[in-house]
Amino acid sequence: MRRTVVFFLTQFLLWALVSQANHELTPWGIALFLGGLFVGLSALTFDRREALVGALAAGFLHDVGTPLPFGTHALAFAAAVVFIQHVRHRLNRHEGLVTVMVILITNLGLFLVISAVALRLLPDADRLTSRVFSDLIASQIVLALVSPWFLALQTQALRLGGCATSPETAAHG
Amino acid sequence: MPPRRLLASRPFLVLGLLLAGWFLVPTVIKRALGISFFELQAPVHLAASHVRDLQDFWSLRTRSSHDLIAAGRDLARLNASYEVTLQQTETLRREVARLEALLRMPTLPGYRSEPARVARRDFNAWWQRLTVRKGRNYGIVPGSPVIFGGGVVGKVTEVHAYTAVVDLISSPTLRLAATLEGDTRPLSFQGANNPAFGPARGIVDYVPTDASASEFSPRRIVTSGLGGVFPAGLLIGEIVRLETSTDGLFKTGEVRLDNRLSELTEVTVLVPERRD
Repeated sequence: MRRTVVFFLTQFLLWALVSQANHELTPWGIALFLGGLFVGLSALTFDRREALVGALAAGFLHDVGTPLPFGTHALAFAAAVVFIQHVRHRLNRHEGLVTVMVILITNLGLFLVISAVALRLLPDADRLTSRVFSDLIASQIVLALVSPWFLALQTQALRLGGCATSPETAAHG
Repeated sequence: MPPRRLLASRPFLVLGLLLAGWFLVPTVIKRALGISFFELQAPVHLAASHVRDLQDFWSLRTRSSHDLIAAGRDLARLNASYEVTLQQTETLRREVARLEALLRMPTLPGYRSEPARVARRDFNAWWQRLTVRKGRNYGIVPGSPVIFGGGVVGKVTEVHAYTAVVDLISSPTLRLAATLEGDTRPLSFQGANNPAFGPARGIVDYVPTDASASEFSPRRIVTSGLGGVFPAGLLIGEIVRLETSTDGLFKTGEVRLDNRLSELTEVTVLVPERRD
């Protein structure tokens, strides 16, 4: 329970920072989507229930204030967790680079899923594709740059909160 | 081996149950959850917005008193011109009321102006939205038009305890009735593709075939007043390209929106006045 709360606090911090970054980026016509970073560490190290709770909470943070049906992000994040946990035993989870790669691929998948849902609900969706790709490229670049820092921050926060952080002690799923 | 296969597919079974469960959750619970998460986030937006205001305040404090005197002088001139405009508006308002009474016409909808600071801008490929620092506490209602010095900003779509969410006119989710300036024939405006590193754009449909516009001789479009949401005559943008639609009955085109839309810090919400 404590680990879930500490993990949610780090997610909330990330969400606040991304919101402020997007606020400042509006004059440049660029927006960041870092969904993969919200689910990466939990999906790779937590047990299924904790990772799903974390993914749903992060998803709900993204869902409010959007014109999409409430729960869209939450369900997409939960699906990402299930897929990552399905393949994580084949990955070297101790390797930072592997974690970052998983986060990048997850972010790409989530971005495409959210785009598909959003564009299906919007009229004249074909006109929006160029902006979708520029946002995606910007998001992936920023994600690659900030992932190591945020993973370290999450790990440190969990350690300070007295929670297990290693896959061996945390993963039961 | 069936048991192992079943074990491997268990996570997906859990996901399926989660999906099914979510669709079965009553709307009331989803709504309550949405409101809870929004109100959890609201203090972050408000705090960040106040911090930005404080930054502006301290950066302005570094300006010299000479700048302050010059700004005060400019402001005094502006105030004088606005005083005259206010008097003219009041005279016109009385004249309109007199004519309405004389002709027994229904009165035009009235609005109360509510200036609000922008707490958050959320412009991405999918939608463009603002969160303003006023909500139910100032009587703002969903559907209220939002304007700024350059014309229409958008429409209030969600109202919360201390904040409200505004859909921008550049957002593909917003469509409104418009007319060419100086014309009465209605046309349809909708937000469109907002390219990266470029100004926001919109699209117009159902433009009369005798209208023309280009990058060098743009035509301004304003709200038509149809639909009852936006008052008539508010500037939306300029048509910079027009071409005949596929059916040949109308023209469609591209609208250039005000560059300042992407940097808004203060807007005015027009709250419809109740007629008791």
